[in-house]
Amino acid sequence: MLVKMFKATVQRVSTSALKISQNRKSENFHSVLIMIPHGRCCLSTSSCLYGKILPRKKPRVVHEIAGLEPITYADRMHFVPGLAKPKFPPWERGWKEPNHYQSPKLEDMPLYKDKPCYIFNQRTNVLEGVRQALWLSKSVLIKGFPDQILTLAEDPANQIENQDERVQNAIKSSRLWDTTEHRPPRERFCPSLLNGLLHLCGGLQVTHPELAKRILAEKYSLAATWRRGEDVFQVRGQNGWLLNSMTPLPVLAGQEQIQSTADQALETFYPIAPTIDLQNTHVYQEKNDTGFREDYPYPHAHTLFLMEMGNAPKLLPEQLRAKMVMFTFGNALARAQALYGKEPSVLEKPIVVQSVATNGRLFQFVVFQLNTTDLQSDSGVKNLVWVDEDQPLYEFAKVKPLIKKKVVQVPAGLSGYQPDTFKKFLALYLHGAV
Amino acid sequence: MMSVGLLSCALRALSLGSSQIAGFPVASGVCAAVTGSRGFMTSACDLQNRSLWKQRDKYTVRPIGVKKTGGRDYTGRIITQRIGGGHKQRYRMIDFQRLRYEAGKEQQPIEEKVMEVRYDPCRSADIALVAGGSRKRWIIATEHMEAGDVIRTSGAIGRMAVLAREGDSHPLGALPVGTLVNNLELFPGKGAQYIRAAGTCGVLLRKVNGTAIVQLPSKHQIQVLETCMVTVGRVSNVEHNKRVIGKAGRNRWLGIRPSSGLWQRKGGWAGRKIRPLPPMKSFINLPSAAARS
Repeated sequence: MLVKMFKATVQRVSTSALKISQNRKSENFHSVLIMIPHGRCCLSTSSCLYGKILPRKKPRVVHEIAGLEPITYADRMHFVPGLAKPKFPPWERGWKEPNHYQSPKLEDMPLYKDKPCYIFNQRTNVLEGVRQALWLSKSVLIKGFPDQILTLAEDPANQIENQDERVQNAIKSSRLWDTTEHRPPRERFCPSLLNGLLHLCGGLQVTHPELAKRILAEKYSLAATWRRGEDVFQVRGQNGWLLNSMTPLPVLAGQEQIQSTADQALETFYPIAPTIDLQNTHVYQEKNDTGFREDYPYPHAHTLFLMEMGNAPKLLPEQLRAKMVMFTFGNALARAQALYGKEPSVLEKPIVVQSVATNGRLFQFVVFQLNTTDLQSDSGVKNLVWVDEDQPLYEFAKVKPLIKKKVVQVPAGLSGYQPDTFKKFLALYLHGAV
Repeated sequence: MMSVGLLSCALRALSLGSSQIAGFPVASGVCAAVTGSRGFMTSACDLQNRSLWKQRDKYTVRPIGVKKTGGRDYTGRIITQRIGGGHKQRYRMIDFQRLRYEAGKEQQPIEEKVMEVRYDPCRSADIALVAGGSRKRWIIATEHMEAGDVIRTSGAIGRMAVLAREGDSHPLGALPVGTLVNNLELFPGKGAQYIRAAGTCGVLLRKVNGTAIVQLPSKHQIQVLETCMVTVGRVSNVEHNKRVIGKAGRNRWLGIRPSSGLWQRKGGWAGRKIRPLPPMKSFINLPSAAARS
């Protein structure tokens, strides 16, 4: 019985298939298919017929006639052809719903100001690099290190026992021994290398008891506001690790050198404005904050460590140095405004802040001396910046040797270690404690 | 209507798997076709997201990720054959309107410094990143443009013709007759539309009371208003027509697919034709964009 039924259905299906193939040849097949309602399961052959999309229509313009109210279908509660679409005021739910929060317009915000502010934050990538940073902070560039720090670096009494070996071990532990992969990511070995070096430096606390008056802060947040020309500028946000100390750093340049900066002209870079690439906003708060409480026992910023990790973007060395200059300047300025008030003046006791930036191999050193908070005009006493660029700590750290044409180009392990770089690092660390 | 229902029923029966017990699927299909009709669906089709990437108002110099079209338009239909695949590309927004003043600096000549000249995957010419004031933008590079150059843009038409340097941008009325120009605007303030391909240039032929006549690279002549902005010189990447593709695969890298391969007899389209130039086209008396809308 079942077999009979099966045979019958097979016949039926085959005849219907035959009909379809005949139909397909006929020309009115299109019109037949189009009449099949939408949403029905159809063969893929007909999908292109359904995919027909009419050209985009312009929305109909409905003119409003003054004094006449359009009759809407609001009270019918459903669409009625010929009646106008009702317009309702935006619904307010009456309670705070964080998932559907709509911020007010910028103009309505309480912090909105007519005068825009140019903000330098840690993601800023300034086009002109250090030149732009010098203009913004009204400072004069000196290449190389100041003499006081150089003498510190060359003094053998300040060295650690087995210094080179221990530094190399620190490098190896961050680059080679940290992972089973070929290379740890930069976000990992940058902080571990810096931590290792700082730990080595901290070992000198036995001979230099002043070093005990230091503390390292991560994720501190800075805010410094100043006016330059007619514009308002700010340095804002988290930026790196800050080593604070109980005692301020000694002043590097004497009064003569400070006075001589008044004659030096600031470099401009027409046609590019110094505000290029800074964040321009109308909603801001004029805030000056070192990031720490007033009764913090370590109020003096000593050294700022920047590296590529977390939220910080990859910057070219020139832009990275500009960032170092700006953030050391911001730290010094916030401290000066906390000490001497907001009145712009030439400081009796200049404020010195240092900075070290690394990408895990190259080191950049910046020393900033804030001589004046009078930044409005281009004339007068200027601040001083010492910049030491692109000092490699080592050349290569490889797990596998680099072999080309069966010749070992770079051996495995650490190669090309340069001891001078760590000496400079150590000198910056010891500065103010010897 | 009945025949339509039967047909759809038969189609459904075909599309159903053969693993089911014979007899029943047909019956159930008939039931569904006759009784359980869902009627016409009036809901709109799904929104297309093919062009979402380029719906952006604010200018940026950052490259934007591009979705490949494969030659399809917004409805999904092929409108250009032989497009598909290729290397991933990113789009850099080109500012074709050279005379775009910065806010608060209207009617002053713009000076900009070329920061970088580089390849652009989206066009044949090279592009240049220029910075001036507190903004940066991409423009089409001219032939000898190099990083560090300072280029000027001025909207003034003086009594004397200016001594134009390459890469500078002036209105057509300010330039001496015979200047090689590129990036030609058809309507003042609309942005350059003509002479943008690699190595091309037009010639300013003559200036007739308030209008200028320019010869295009195709030797056609057009007449535009003399306030239309134009860049002096030739577009960069002059060697573009000399490059050797070398192999079929390189065209695939560029996103060009082979032609169909179907043999077709050569007809009237093949061979050289000698025909007169079309008459000069005028873009003068057309109503402006503001008046039309």
